[in-house]
This record gives sequence, structure tokens and C-alpha cells, in this order.
Amino acid sequence: MAGEVSPQEEGNRTLHLRTLRKQWQIITLQVIATVALVWMYMEIVSTYVVGSIDHTILFRMLEQEIGSELPVGDWLTGLDQQGVASYYVPIGVGITIGGGMSLLAFQPPKRQQKIKLAFVIGLIVILSGRFLMNYLWQLWGDGWTVPDNNALATLEWPLLTILSMVILMFYLLPVIMGTRGIWGLSRKGVAWCIGFVLLFLAIHAILSFPVVKAQLGGYGDKLATLDVLVGAPTVGFFGMNLVTEQQFSLIMIACLIMIFQESAFGVIRQLEYAFRLPESCKRDPEYVKQVDNVLNGHLRHTVIFLTITTLSTMVALGFHSVLLEFVEGVTGSQWAAQVSESVELTLTYGLVISALLFLALMAVLRFFVPWQRLWGLIETSLSRS
Amino acid sequence: MWTRKASFTFAGGISLILIGMMISNHQMMILGLSFVAFIVANSWISGHGDVEVQRTLSADNLYKGDDLYVELLVTNRSGRRTQTLEVYDNVPHEMKLRSGLNQMKMNLGPGESARIRYVLRCPLRGHFSIGPVSLRYRNTFNLSVEEMFVDHHSDMIVFPQLRDVEEAFIRSRTPKMYTGATTLRTPGPGTEFYSLREYVPGDPFKNINWKAFARTGDLMINEKCRDAVTDLYIILDSRDIARIGTVLKNPLEMGTVAAASLASFFLQRRDSVSLIIYDEKLSYLPPDTGDKQHFKILSSLAGVAPQGAMPLQAVTNSLAARFSRGSPIFIISSCEGDGTVPAAIRDLVGRGHEVTVLSPSSIDFERLVSRIPRMSYEVLKIERQNRMTSLAGFGSQVIDWMPDMDLSQALLQVRGY
Repeated sequence: MAGEVSPQEEGNRTLHLRTLRKQWQIITLQVIATVALVWMYMEIVSTYVVGSIDHTILFRMLEQEIGSELPVGDWLTGLDQQGVASYYVPIGVGITIGGGMSLLAFQPPKRQQKIKLAFVIGLIVILSGRFLMNYLWQLWGDGWTVPDNNALATLEWPLLTILSMVILMFYLLPVIMGTRGIWGLSRKGVAWCIGFVLLFLAIHAILSFPVVKAQLGGYGDKLATLDVLVGAPTVGFFGMNLVTEQQFSLIMIACLIMIFQESAFGVIRQLEYAFRLPESCKRDPEYVKQVDNVLNGHLRHTVIFLTITTLSTMVALGFHSVLLEFVEGVTGSQWAAQVSESVELTLTYGLVISALLFLALMAVLRFFVPWQRLWGLIETSLSRS
Repeated sequence: MWTRKASFTFAGGISLILIGMMISNHQMMILGLSFVAFIVANSWISGHGDVEVQRTLSADNLYKGDDLYVELLVTNRSGRRTQTLEVYDNVPHEMKLRSGLNQMKMNLGPGESARIRYVLRCPLRGHFSIGPVSLRYRNTFNLSVEEMFVDHHSDMIVFPQLRDVEEAFIRSRTPKMYTGATTLRTPGPGTEFYSLREYVPGDPFKNINWKAFARTGDLMINEKCRDAVTDLYIILDSRDIARIGTVLKNPLEMGTVAAASLASFFLQRRDSVSLIIYDEKLSYLPPDTGDKQHFKILSSLAGVAPQGAMPLQAVTNSLAARFSRGSPIFIISSCEGDGTVPAAIRDLVGRGHEVTVLSPSSIDFERLVSRIPRMSYEVLKIERQNRMTSLAGFGSQVIDWMPDMDLSQALLQVRGY
């Protein structure tokens, strides 16, 4: 149909990356991702690492071996703190390094090159500067000789500093890569972060498997094992206790991984879309409005669905007890109480089967609850008023 | 439909649950359960393509090389959100996006609408259709994708370009022979009175209005209404051989431009123009005047595609009875691969028609796409020149039209209709 077609309009707001990066939805998603990352890291550390294989143990072993204190300050490595608190400052360091790497990634290539060059030169100077000066002075006085002990001793400080930092960085790798991924809009960064976490969980799971653990002898005893089965459920909602604290901690790790992943990838995906739009579309108010809509939708879904995921996982894990209570209540028989004592039920098979049963019920529920339509009606009435 | 990500997440979740059960590792089981719960929770939501689409074009008919402004209005008439919906307006591949974009990612609330505006350039003539509108609902976390389309089309015709043809180059000398010649509302040679004007040196004395001179004291001239004078026949060769060259530059493309320009020129002069296109079949548009005929001719030319191998003599034989006596005939053909061309032209000239052959040089078009050895090119060129000379020998006017030559420049070779 032919008619009057007006050309694309130009609005005040545009979809240029410079502007979009400051938009509240994008920043909120990035903040959510960062909080999820730190929270996830803290949960993992508190569950698996602290008191078992944490960096302070390694640093203390090093100090014992060399017979002196490490050159890096204890406040920085967290050696002056106990438990999870020993990770507070290092996490801050990790976020700063990740943020710095993101900032560097947004610089022009020439400036990036200069900064990298300056960093490498600085590292070389720290490592060998004092040694070279000493050795040259020695050569000046004694002639052509091998470096003496005084000169070699100057290498000790930089080597230990770099070693300490490398160890710290190794522990903080997920935080550094995650921060780099979120704020530097790097898919690789996010993927590496999740990869490290999953790899750690997998290695830990294998090492803590009783057969393997027995082979490790004394080393294996130090590995933190999860006593998730011990104790009654204490965490839940609406007055229902569904899972133990440790189970809740594991659920949080799983859900925080997803929150981090979806928020970080969501930001990258939306910014990529905006970046690929032609110039005229970036200025078109229609596109700006729809990008807003999509981002708002993403935020809403991130909050709603990941909360539902967390809650439904909790309910799924506690579903076997709900089922037994129901059966006991309905039949009034002792069967349910006897079954609830069964190790198989609380161990794996019953737990998993009942959890999957709950999830299957949840999946079927979509055919009975027209909540999208209900929400649409609410939205329509809100927009009319 | 699940995406690869959803499949991996679900399969990974189930695998983690099973491995966790095998090695009694609760972290793995819980991680697996969370993955499955994530998929299940997301299955609750599904977007939809239940939207109303309305497309507006700036023009239904336009000329090759023109810009077309398109506006697509997408409205969500349902009572729920569309969720993230990628809307893509399918554009013919022959058209190029000049500005804007024919797609948008949107999330429309109930009753909300969005406009996609873009500009297309139409570098090729033809009958085109924009649409359907493809819709792709994508889950926020990219877990499911559903593809739909709205069967909404907008048809349009891209006419061949019109080039300027100067009056000086083409003049008809054969008056319309049958009775009822159309009277034109323009001054020129004719019978009916048009207006009075002042005498200018060179005006024939027989046209002086003596009564007006006696009344006013100034010499006044009687202007006459110009009569429609000519039935013009344009024969366009659209055989398969006419495709030689590039997509944008080949004998057929140049032929359509020439036919459209000539038809437009003669129709503007209120002459009757007929168009004959021959390829695998013959299509004949009887001579007529006016805008309607102009539209018919341009539409026919827009849809021309190279095909078939009908000989020219078959065309002239079948239509000889329909040609008005003495009317000029334009034959636009490369004259390649058709041994009947000389005979056909001889017949037409013999019947008293003024025949002009506008022949795009196919050898030179072929040179645009493939390398022809110099010697071969020279030989082929001589052969072609001999063919053209023989056609001219039958009494027709022959124009050898080179690829880089403008139409008006080529027509300079025509004199004295």
C-alpha cells in the first residue's frame, strides 16, 4: 500500500555504546552480575576452601620454608584475618585488577600497547633492577666475577613478591576473569570464570569421592567434605523448613553461577545488538524505546526466574519430606515415618526422584496457570489508568 | 523449540544429577537440579507472534535506481507481552538497504506498537514483493526460539529507467493514416484552430490572420492544434541471448531502457505506441496513447526476462497485418543468433515501414564478463559490422549501440523520420 512514509526520526537519546553503557538497566545488570560473582566466590570459598586449602595455609607454609615473612603485607594477602575474612581484601584486589583490565580494554590500541609495555618493563625492573645495580658495582670493584651472595640476595624480595602475587592471582582467577568479563564486555572472561568454578567443583568432587580420598592419605583428610545429610532442615519459606544450611549454600552456589552468567551475557548480548545497528537506527526513538523494553524485560526475568529457580530447587530438595508428610497425614499409617528413616530416601535416589517429580509437576503447571495472560491484563489496566 | 544452550543445560543438569548420585556428591546433584529447575521455570513463559503488521510504501511503482521508503507498523493486539521478538521484514534480494534496518528486536506490551522505517534502493527493474514478515521469539536467556511469520506482502513494480530523448533526434514524418486522428492541445501542424499569436519572422504568410491584422494593426498568426501523427511500433528482443553481460549491463537491460524512453517520448507527443516483446513467446500490446498505455508499456518492460529463441521473422510475419501502413518500427535487438533478421527487415522495409534497428553490441557486453582474445574480438566485431551493413543495405537505419554509450548519443545516428 502506497502512502506517506516519514523518514526515521532523531531523538535526544541514542543507542551509542558510550551512552548505553551509562544506562541504568545496563549498570544494574552489571552490578547484579558483580554481586553474584563475589557472592558465589564467597560461598565457594566458605564451603570448600577456608580452613582446608585456602591461600593463607599456603602462604604460612611458604613462610615456614623460607624462615621469614613474605614481603607482601599481611593486610593484602589476608594473613592477618581468620576464616572467610581473609578473602575480603584479596577479593577487592581481584575486582580492582579485573576492573583495570576492563578499563585497559577500552583504551585505544596504541595506549594499550604503551601501558602493557610499561607494565612489562616495570616488572623486569622490579625483578632485576637492584640485582643488576649490585652486580655492576661488584664488577666495577672486583673485575669479571660471578655474582656474590649480596647481589643474589637482592633477587629474593622481587621473586617472593611476584610468587606471592601469582599465588594470590591463581586463587582470585574467577573474580579477576569474571570482573573483566562483566565490565569489559568479554564473553571469554565470563566463560573462563564459569569454567574455573566448574572445574574446581569437579576436581573437588573427584578428590572427595571416598575411594579417591582414601588414596590421598593425609592430604585427603584436609579436604572439606560436605555433611549435607546431617541435621534437620532449617532453611525454607512460608514456615516450611525445606533444606539444611549446607544444602542451601550449595543451592546458592548453583543459582549464583546462573545469575552471574545470565546477567553478564545479557549485557553483552544487548550491547552487541545496539552496536550492530546502523547509525540512523541508533538515533531512532523507536529503536531506543524497544531496547529499553528489552532491557527492562531482561531485568524482570533475571530477578523473577532466577528467584523461582532458587525457590523451586529448595522445594524440590525438600519435596520428599513434603510428600511423606502428606502421605502420613492422609493415611495416618506408620509407613511414611518408616520410609522417612530410609537412608536411600534421604541419600540420593529418593531425594532425586522426588525432586525431579516436583520439577515435572512444575513444568506441567504452565498448562493450567495462564499467568502470562493475567500479567498482561494487569499491565493493560495499569497502562489505561 | 529449545536452543542449543537449553539442550546443553538440560543434558548437563541430568548428567550432573546422575554423576552426583554415582559418586554421592551433593554439590553436583544440586547443581544439576538447579539447571533443570532453571529450564522448567523458563518453560513457563513463551512469547508470541500474535501481532498485527501494516506496511506502507512510499510508492507502488518506481523507476530503476529510485529509493523506496518503507514503514512497517507492528502492533501487539493481544492481552499479553510479546516478550523479546525479533521482527524481520523480508526484502527481495535484488534490493539494497540504503538507510535504516529492516529488522528490530522488540518487546511489546499489550496494545503497544513499534515502527520500523527503512529505505531501499531498487537497482533492478522487475515485479517485486516485500514480505512476509518473519518473527522470531527468543527467550530472555536464549533457552528457546520459536519462528513464525505474518503473511503480509506489498507488491510493487520497478520500471526501467527513462532517459531523455531529444526531439531533434527523432521526428516522425509519417502522418497517422486512419481517420479520427486525435486532436492534441498543443500547438503544431494540424487542422483545428488553437490560438492567435504575434507574427515572428519566418512564419508562412498563408497563416496570417488578415482580419485580426485589420482590427489591431499588428500581424497575427493562426496557431493550429497539433494532430497525433504516428503509430510507433517498438519490437524488443528478449531472447535468452540478450542476457549476455552483467546483471546491470546487458543487451536486454539497455533494450528495456531504450524501449521505455522511446515509448515515453512518443506518448508525451500524443502518438500511439505499441510494444512487442518476443522471447519464447510473443507478447503484443496494441498501439494506444495516454498515461494508461504508458503504464502498460512500463509494466510489461518491468517484467521482461531473457528466455527462449523466437526468430524475428516469426514475429514480423504474425504481426504484419496489424502494423499500420508506413508506420515507423523500432527493433531493439542485438541481432545475434537469429538468421532471420535480414529477411524480416527486408520484408518490413518492403512494406513501406521506416525501420530503425537499435542494436546493443553483444560482443562488447560479453567482454565485460569474460576475456576475449584480441584476435577473436576483432573477427567477431568485423562479422557484426558486416551484419549491420547488410541490414542497412535493406533500407533500415542501423544503430550500433556500445555499452558505454548513452541512449541519446546512440540516437544521434537516426535522422529524419
